[in-house]
Amino acid sequence: MSYEEKNITVSLVSHLLIGVYYLANLLPMIQSGELVAGRLYVLWAIVIAVNIVVNIIGSILTNILLTIVETIRSGKYEDPQFIEDERDKLIGLKGIRSSYITFSIGVLLSVFAFIFGQPPLMMISLIVLFSILAEIIGDVSKIYLYRKGG
Amino acid sequence: MGKSQVRNNIRKLRFHHDEMTQEQLAKKAGVTRQTIIAMEGEKYSPSLELAFRIARVFGVPLEEVFYYAPEDEAES
Repeated sequence: MSYEEKNITVSLVSHLLIGVYYLANLLPMIQSGELVAGRLYVLWAIVIAVNIVVNIIGSILTNILLTIVETIRSGKYEDPQFIEDERDKLIGLKGIRSSYITFSIGVLLSVFAFIFGQPPLMMISLIVLFSILAEIIGDVSKIYLYRKGG
Repeated sequence: MGKSQVRNNIRKLRFHHDEMTQEQLAKKAGVTRQTIIAMEGEKYSPSLELAFRIARVFGVPLEEVFYYAPEDEAES
């Protein structure tokens, strides 16, 4: 498994955890029919902020951990050179495309939900959910492409 | 995503260059080892620039490293 694959796996796990946290908080509100604006704003803020922070910190931590593991494995410290070559860039772009397609479909479905009588808070909740789902789909497609070869 | 129609002799050329490892070739060409593995398995077609860099590492013309074999020709 290359450095990029490990990085994407960490990103996928963190996005899955964020998705589970979001659903665990959102579903009880929907089931009880209490979509309170104040509580939803806090939930959205937490999810979006954690997503950004986890993306940055996850990348830094993965870098540090991989350097430590590599140093222990080889027995000597070498300045790590995690190259991103043309294949990595191509796979990254394909992953972003998958994310955009998922997010676009999600936004469309959310707008339709609003048109067919759902409250605006539900529409925005769905958009936030689809943004997390888009990140997950993007990560999964990148891992799939790395496994397939490019 | 099937096999690439751009075939190559990278494995053979590595063998004829003092059994150069994939890691060594990757470092000289400025890519990751995984990209060399994908190219050798004909799952990835490199850009023209990378193809020239690899040919330069081996010191041979481009057509000795890469050649085009469309699926219909490859099957016959």
